[in-house]
Amino acid sequence: MLKFILRRIMMMIPQLFILSVLVFLLAKAMPGDALTGQLASNPKIDAQTLEEMKEKLGLNDPVHVQYARWMKNLLQGDLGISYIHKQPVNDLLAGRMWNTILLSAAILILTYMIAIPLGIVSGRWTDSWADKLIVGYSYVSFATPLFIFALIMLFIFGFKLGWFPTGGSVDIQVEKGTFAYYLSKLNHLLLPALSGALINTVGTIQYLRSEIIDTKVKDFVKTARAKGVPESSIYWRHILRNSFLPIAAFLGYEITGLIGGSIFLESIFSYPGIGQLFLQSILQRDYSVVTALVMISGLATLIGTLLSDIILSAVDPRIRIE
Amino acid sequence: MRKTWHWRFFVVFAVFLLGLTACSSSTSNDKDGKDTKTTQKEDISKFPMTVKNDGKIVDGVLNYGLVSDTPFEGTLNYAFYEGDPDFKILQFFDEPLFHFNEDYEITNDGAATYELSDDKKTMTIKIKDNVKWHDGEPVKAEDLEYAYLVIGHKDYTGVRYGDALMQDIVGMEEYHSGKADKISGIKVIDDKTLTITWKHANPSVLTGIWAYPLPKHYLKDVPIKDLAKSDKIRKHPIGFGPFKVKKIVPGESVEFVRNDDYWAGKPNLKGVILKVVSPQVVLQALKKGEIDVAEFPTDQYVSAKGTKNIQFVGKIDLSYSYIGFKLGRWDAEKQENVMDNPKFQNKKLRQAMAYAINNKEVGDRLYHGLRFPATTLIPPSFPSYHDKNAKGYTYDPEKAKKLLDEAGYKDVDGDGFREDPNGKKFVINFLAMSGGDIAEPLAKFYMQCWKDVGLNVQLVDGRLAEFNSFYDMVQNDDPKVDVFAAAWGTGTDVDPYGLYGRNVMFNFSRWVNVKNDELLEKGHSEQAFDKEYRKKIYNEWQALMNEEVPVIPTLYRSIIYAVNNRVKNYSADIDPFIWKWKDVGVTSEKPEVAQ
Repeated sequence: MLKFILRRIMMMIPQLFILSVLVFLLAKAMPGDALTGQLASNPKIDAQTLEEMKEKLGLNDPVHVQYARWMKNLLQGDLGISYIHKQPVNDLLAGRMWNTILLSAAILILTYMIAIPLGIVSGRWTDSWADKLIVGYSYVSFATPLFIFALIMLFIFGFKLGWFPTGGSVDIQVEKGTFAYYLSKLNHLLLPALSGALINTVGTIQYLRSEIIDTKVKDFVKTARAKGVPESSIYWRHILRNSFLPIAAFLGYEITGLIGGSIFLESIFSYPGIGQLFLQSILQRDYSVVTALVMISGLATLIGTLLSDIILSAVDPRIRIE
Repeated sequence: MRKTWHWRFFVVFAVFLLGLTACSSSTSNDKDGKDTKTTQKEDISKFPMTVKNDGKIVDGVLNYGLVSDTPFEGTLNYAFYEGDPDFKILQFFDEPLFHFNEDYEITNDGAATYELSDDKKTMTIKIKDNVKWHDGEPVKAEDLEYAYLVIGHKDYTGVRYGDALMQDIVGMEEYHSGKADKISGIKVIDDKTLTITWKHANPSVLTGIWAYPLPKHYLKDVPIKDLAKSDKIRKHPIGFGPFKVKKIVPGESVEFVRNDDYWAGKPNLKGVILKVVSPQVVLQALKKGEIDVAEFPTDQYVSAKGTKNIQFVGKIDLSYSYIGFKLGRWDAEKQENVMDNPKFQNKKLRQAMAYAINNKEVGDRLYHGLRFPATTLIPPSFPSYHDKNAKGYTYDPEKAKKLLDEAGYKDVDGDGFREDPNGKKFVINFLAMSGGDIAEPLAKFYMQCWKDVGLNVQLVDGRLAEFNSFYDMVQNDDPKVDVFAAAWGTGTDVDPYGLYGRNVMFNFSRWVNVKNDELLEKGHSEQAFDKEYRKKIYNEWQALMNEEVPVIPTLYRSIIYAVNNRVKNYSADIDPFIWKWKDVGVTSEKPEVAQ
């Protein structure tokens, strides 16, 4: 097992290296650079100064020189300076990443809280009206675009009913570190998280449902029934445990997804997170932020797959990693 | 994702109508204005400038909505900020030393007074005694000098050094290149007095002088290269404006409290809370009273007007849209524009293309009249310099056809498109920018208009170009581009030299002309300190540009603000006249809510 993990980690190094080259070249291949935006907003700048600034930012160096410089800093944990935000990418990401992880974790937890009971009910009582209702809901949610659904949620629960705050990640007037502060954070988190979770459930529900239906007719279940094991214990002890396998295996990926953020939720709820930052950085050619984010999510994906494999082998004794 | 979805449908619908009626035939009934059902036309000149509120001001806090679908960057300093959201935060806590008049020329009503020497090259600036930074330190002459020392420094990370006036200061270049450790043209006379000397006398100093001091005592320990990222600018910025920054939640909100020691007197508001609001929900937030003031997206105005708890104020923006012709290229060696592209040298062809487009229709249908036909390259937001009598190019397809015939562009092979004077196929490559729902219908509309007069216009690469590729192609004179549609924000300096001069890169059409050189030179000469003279020169320049049309001015823009009924003294020109925030007040503790 340990050997397996070590080997996988060793393999990540060339993978990340290839990723870094690709990302860097692709980022540089985009037309324009961070200074292009100056043209539209600030005609009061002369060509020479623009050239000087490019020089200062190192944009005029040959690509391999730029890559080497970037790589050297990267290895020291320095992700560079964001031109648009005029601050180190590390600082910028630290603030945004925390928000995004909070939101994504909340979405993930809510998704499981909603999807697992529903999946169990609909798998156990297949073709009942409850099952039809749940399957119906999961299809509708699957078909609903997030940016419309989130808006509707915001209008109903934020503006019309006034149950939740309508934007931001925290109320600015509460003192940082107090209990009220954390409560306010949670309060700001609930509505966007719920909006994300309610239409995120389809995968979990369907997996769980079909696994339960599958397992229900397996031989070992029949044997258990024949031996007179009570129905509830058949479900809890035998069927569910087996049905959770694919969901458990998926957990690794889900954890990776935590850092991705959501462009729509962040924009609608004015919630400063990674999704918007990534999009804006691409549009504004803020290279250092783009490359940093791709590298981080690349690394996270690799770790996520590894985690998934480990989890799977831990929960399913049939799978052995050597 | 800037608009809600029903809006999208409306736009699609509007495109449909445009395609059917607008440019394609002369028999449609909207010529005589009967077709009012689909046209909901607004007129920015009918918008009040200041809100109406006769109530008595109470001691309250105002909620300001910063309308943006992204978090603000948070570079909270005039010398360093670049994005407009950051300016919207800056306006509350810091301000320039000078006030200015409606032509944006500095006056002596602000925190400092000025006097120009007889040769107009030296300005003496005196800062008033009661002007204090938020930490109680007085604002000194050395603070203003420090701002220049920072901007001119080789380690400076912002963009303000690019300004021509900045580089024209005596000794600035020497300082910038590191040959001198002070700027010889800037002298601190005493604690409160300072003189600045320029190499040339230029009336633009009255609008363009850098008048934002930096708190030297507060910032001097931070190396200049680290200033923009320092906490002293990002987390705990100070200024000398009417409000102090109390707290910042990065990217989403800022809390301000009243600066009781504000030099012009105590501000009316107890504080301001600014938060980012997505354009998708700004109307709801206004209706619910969650925000009191917001710059309102003009494309949502039609669905918002009539809302009971808010008032709208508006003005014409300092910008214009235009369509430019590529007439040459930028010679980076000589730092000069060279007009060597033969395709559009014929003035009549350019004029014909200007007559062929129906900007009125575009403004009315796509922007509900909140953008309207531009007549010159100096927008009406410069009331003294905009030539009100200029006609510009009004839609006249017959005249366009006649001009094309005269210029020799005739359809010789009978395919419905005109050939060039040599009888060769004539295809015009049009570069338009993507972004927003209106970009596509707008480009299609213009192309249809040109097609109606027999010109074969195609989109470059068959599609709209994304912002960066657009400017990449325009700036580098990509030979694929013949005609391009873009826009300029003018800033408050009327001088068009920076956009149309022979030696400036931003003269994207690459048009050069001796008469133009002469007028632009005169426009910022010593003589032009005489306002009547300057007006005359710029009228001549506007006429010249309309005659030669290297670029076709297409639309002027409006800017509107939605304001809760409880707000008093808010006016649409508070940007750029930001010191007016002192007088803004609220007449009840709680905002009005729409029923």
